[in-house]
Amino acid sequence: MNWAMLWKVVLIFTLSGYSLLVIIVIFGGAGNIVDMLRDLRKPPDQD
Amino acid sequence: MDVFATNFRTLDWVIVCVYICIPVVIGIIVKKYIRQLSDFILAGRSLKLFIAIATLTGTELGLVTVMYNAELGFKHGLSAFHVGIIETFCILAIGLTGFIVYKLRQLRIMTIPEFYEMRFGRNVRIVGGIILALGGILNMGLFLQAGARFMMGVTGYSNPAGLKLFMSAMLIMVLVYTVLGGMVSVVLNDFMQFVVLSIGMLIGSMFAISKVGWANLFKAPPMVDSASWFNPISEGSGFGSLYVIFMVILTFSAGALWQSGTLRALSAKTPKVAKQLYAWSSVSYLARRVIPMLWGVCAFIFISQSPKLLAAFQGPDALNSQFGMPIFIAKVLPSGFLGLMAAGMFAAFMSTHDSYLLSWSSVITQDIVAPLKKDNLSDKSRLLITRICIVAIGIFLLIWGLWFEAPVSLWNYMAVTGTIYLAGAFTVVTAGLYWKKASKTGAKIALYAGLLAILGIGPWTTGENVPFYLSDKFIGVMTFLIAFLGMILGSLIFPDKTKPKEVKR
Repeated sequence: MNWAMLWKVVLIFTLSGYSLLVIIVIFGGAGNIVDMLRDLRKPPDQD
Repeated sequence: MDVFATNFRTLDWVIVCVYICIPVVIGIIVKKYIRQLSDFILAGRSLKLFIAIATLTGTELGLVTVMYNAELGFKHGLSAFHVGIIETFCILAIGLTGFIVYKLRQLRIMTIPEFYEMRFGRNVRIVGGIILALGGILNMGLFLQAGARFMMGVTGYSNPAGLKLFMSAMLIMVLVYTVLGGMVSVVLNDFMQFVVLSIGMLIGSMFAISKVGWANLFKAPPMVDSASWFNPISEGSGFGSLYVIFMVILTFSAGALWQSGTLRALSAKTPKVAKQLYAWSSVSYLARRVIPMLWGVCAFIFISQSPKLLAAFQGPDALNSQFGMPIFIAKVLPSGFLGLMAAGMFAAFMSTHDSYLLSWSSVITQDIVAPLKKDNLSDKSRLLITRICIVAIGIFLLIWGLWFEAPVSLWNYMAVTGTIYLAGAFTVVTAGLYWKKASKTGAKIALYAGLLAILGIGPWTTGENVPFYLSDKFIGVMTFLIAFLGMILGSLIFPDKTKPKEVKR
């Protein structure tokens, strides 16, 4: 088994996959924060 | 080249000081949103998918995570990556199947021992709560030490008193804003940490790779055995097949049931979001392992090219291997960016610390104190007890971190202390959810069996020619096995006299 090649693929996948995830989460997360704070302002028994 | 030479300048100190004030300010601002205990512990169960991913990553990608993974890369080379691969597949499997987390979220519980009571009764909950708190608090026992080593390595502050100084200062900052804001401030800070740290880590990786060279990264340095550098199954790598088996069991159980991570699933808006959270987060679990390991590998290659640096990590007075990565980035990252990275790491340290403090203190309140008081505790009293526990645990951590030196690597210490809780919890929750014959006696035996893992941090686990049965990995695997067998045999031999409670809410 070519371990060096395997770790090379893993590293490339990690760096590129994580970059993509970070972009998605930054944009999606900002909207979620606004919703969360709005939910917390509701009376406690409303949920 | 001086070992503690650094690019960390006055500008970097300014960046760190400004940055670390932000969480405290957020803690004060969001205090008005905290009206009840579920707001404090679970952010009112209002987390949607993306903020849940950010906060799960913010918790699981702390400075300590970076330190122990970098240490693995520094000591074992690219073979350390296998831990990341195993963990990623485990998290993905949990996300795709919803194993454990979906059902737990459906039950609307706040802590894992709460489930013990629903399924096995109050006594099991108290026993489980004590073991969870014990394992969890011991597990974070070296966080302060590792964090302080990072700050010393990066800032170049090599004075022996620095460790105590940094540990005390870091602890005070964490306590202030965790006590104030609870989970809402934790969530907001985790999001900020996620953004800054993720971008910083990706850019930092580019600097690290460009320093040692892409091609050199996949060549074993001359002083190490080539096979062990790449192959985790090779016994010379410091891992071996038993270690790989231990990692599969440990990362799967931790993925499903590690209280601070599971707390995020329990905070998710719906059970479906809890499930999706795991599937998406498998990528960030991979990154939180592989990127710091990459830095550790780069650090070793870089240090091995300088005889003076290499000498500092060899011999009887060798520096702790945790210093490898911070010393490397202190020399490679430019001033300004180094300050931002240090600030991001320090903030990440706080975000992990706050979540863990919140997790274990809420377990003590909800699963030990409240059941012992027969639940005659108001929400206000519970909130007060939780806050007192946070401070008490913080003081313990300072004392423990100052005198205890782990006989094994930081990650192995965490794996073994995590097993104290996980061996019992994984067995009890799995059996409780999916096996009708699981009994109270079986659950208690499984929980107590987890205590065997304490043997894995004893002084006998280190040194030359340690017999395999005294190694931390053997003790870890056996603890899981004994807990599992204890559950099965205990339940079959001592079945419950009454029918098991129907677990639903």
